[in-house]
Amino acid sequence: MLNSIILSYITFIYFGAFMLYLLMMVSGREFLGRLATFAAAGGLVAHTTAIILRWVESYRLGVGHAPLSNLYESLIFFAWTIVLLYLIVELRTKNRTIGAFITPIAFLAMAYASFSPNINSQIQPLIPALQSNWLISHVITCFFGYAAFSLSFGLSIMYLIKRLDTQNRNNIFLKLIPRTVVLEDLNYQMVVTGFIMLTLGIITGSVWAQSAWGSYWSWDPKETWSLITWFVYATVIHSRMVKGWRGKKIAILCFIGFSCVLFTYFGVNYLAGLHSYATS
Amino acid sequence: MKIFKTEKKSNIIWAFFSSIKLTIVILIILAIASILGTLIPQREGAIEFARGLSPELFRLFSSLNLFDMYHAVWFRLLIACLVFNLVICSINRFPSTWKRFHTTPKPDRNKPFDRLPTQQSFLTQGDVKETADNIGKFLESIYKKIYKKEDANRHYFYGEKGRYSHFGVYLVHLSVLIILIGALVGSFLGFDSYMNIVEGEKANTVTLRKGRVQQKLEFEVRCDKFIVDFHKNGTPKEYRSELSFFIDGKQVEKRSLLVNHPVQFEGITFFQASYNTVPGKNVRLKIIRHGNEHKINTLDAETGDMLQLPGNEGQFQVEKVSGNLRGMMGPAALIRIQPHEGKEALFWVFQNEEMLRKRFPSEMFQAPILNSSAFKPYTFFLEGLESKYSTGLQVNKDPGVPIVWLGCFMMVAGFFVTFFTSHRRVWIRLSKEKQGIKISVSGTANKNRVGLQRELKHLTNNLKEFINEKG
Repeated sequence: MLNSIILSYITFIYFGAFMLYLLMMVSGREFLGRLATFAAAGGLVAHTTAIILRWVESYRLGVGHAPLSNLYESLIFFAWTIVLLYLIVELRTKNRTIGAFITPIAFLAMAYASFSPNINSQIQPLIPALQSNWLISHVITCFFGYAAFSLSFGLSIMYLIKRLDTQNRNNIFLKLIPRTVVLEDLNYQMVVTGFIMLTLGIITGSVWAQSAWGSYWSWDPKETWSLITWFVYATVIHSRMVKGWRGKKIAILCFIGFSCVLFTYFGVNYLAGLHSYATS
Repeated sequence: MKIFKTEKKSNIIWAFFSSIKLTIVILIILAIASILGTLIPQREGAIEFARGLSPELFRLFSSLNLFDMYHAVWFRLLIACLVFNLVICSINRFPSTWKRFHTTPKPDRNKPFDRLPTQQSFLTQGDVKETADNIGKFLESIYKKIYKKEDANRHYFYGEKGRYSHFGVYLVHLSVLIILIGALVGSFLGFDSYMNIVEGEKANTVTLRKGRVQQKLEFEVRCDKFIVDFHKNGTPKEYRSELSFFIDGKQVEKRSLLVNHPVQFEGITFFQASYNTVPGKNVRLKIIRHGNEHKINTLDAETGDMLQLPGNEGQFQVEKVSGNLRGMMGPAALIRIQPHEGKEALFWVFQNEEMLRKRFPSEMFQAPILNSSAFKPYTFFLEGLESKYSTGLQVNKDPGVPIVWLGCFMMVAGFFVTFFTSHRRVWIRLSKEKQGIKISVSGTANKNRVGLQRELKHLTNNLKEFINEKG
């Protein structure tokens, strides 16, 4: 299908953007950075078009539904939210270095979706449990949350790298990364954004579960892991706000948080549960 | 918090529960326990898993309630500890929050103006009195209430907004309590059960998931029809139960129940959960009477009906049927024969008898209960078994649900207040200097200080324009 062909090409566009961001940081040439932004933004436009095409295509097949219904579609959407959120951050901070740490995540998600033999890219009709208006709001809130946590992960790595920078060290790569205070503040903003989105995702999921399964909370592995993730990021927020933690400790907590996000997204598929349709 | 901990700190229990370290420890324990709960199959899934454990390990697991962990007492106690911790932390912090909310600082402070960025002050010429009035007017257009003070050389103005932002955190924490209260209400006043109804049949008892106890409903439900529809690729498209509700034997309502579209009746909610095929009452039998006249009869019988044997030796009936006898022998019917003379006979006949005879040793079918030729001179065959759908309904009553939704709503509102509003306080100082009138703008905020700096610069520019226009 056309949409999945376009999407597999976008994988390379994001890889190109990643390389350009990286080259910019190594060479320090502004021009490469502009090119990288251009690639990422162009990729996002094509990406959006492909998602809309897929949506339209599903109606043509007579099974019309938003392209958010299985692992393939969720990975595509995950990459989309990451790039979108990153470009917003780039626009606001006017700093391109973050791109070198975020675009690889989008690239990996796209590559996994497009080239893994275990992932089916066909448009499939919705099973009864997924036929709900809550599908769209649940998936969108969850994935914007995941995207914000991905950015927080990238920013935490940048923070730890930036700590290696010293006054007399003349490394362009390190010099270009924003000051640690800026990284910390931005990271915190991303954690808060992700936390709010995750909360909304859990709430919309509960409302949906209440009408589909008759219970707003069933301790299904995905629910439980999203709660664990919520606990971890709640700890990040509390330790910063109440205990005044900064720096390395927060960065490490963000790593733990992001590994919980990944487990909630992928790892849970290896455990039996109600969310099994997100597996294939 | 530091100001108010003097006397309360003497109480050890209070001190224990008011520490944020405890919060973090409980959160970590809860997280680890929850992880265990996702790794160890819970409830229905646990039986299989438990078989693989050594007896000692099994005893350990079941004494810790690890097979139904989220409902175990210790898990609930942990949550109770968290709640206790939350409440006490909130109480502890409340006085200082209240103070920050309630007290208005003196407008004539000079400290905020120490080390002021140059963009936040400017010089202007003109009448001092008039300029001061203009500043007042300007501030009034932004803040509801402003405070002024003046001395010989200086005029001070103070305005603020977003005081309520201090309470956002309380709103969030209160919402957690409300959600848990909703869950408690649900577990005490509600129930969680299921029922299976065969098409065309009525039922009024449900089985509670907790303890598998039967409970009677105050009305009857009939499944008029169950429909399952498939997509072209074979995946299910729709499960639908047509239900009728009866009170005192009178039909009151008819509703269609679909997945994602629950039906409510008398405060009880029905959800489409599963379905099954079950044998109906009608059976098609082939009866051969051996002898000189080899007679073959094929007839339809309803379970329970008394029928005459073709040779009039007595009566027989289909006593019961099974869709899959012993889970492996396929459709079967139990035949009871009551002859006028001689002994009664009772045996199963199988629809897949030929296949079964190949799979199992032939001696097995010599046993009277499995011998379809047990009553001479007849042999019985099961030709067909009517199959019906049985719909599996999840039946719930949970008066706590609206409370949970209220809590969720409060949490989102609380996040909005906590993360997107801040208590911003702005001081403006007008001072007479040699070069003219110097106006300085300063401020503080309880969060988002970067945003505040931007706002103060913006405010300074607007004020400058305002005064230049008026002047």
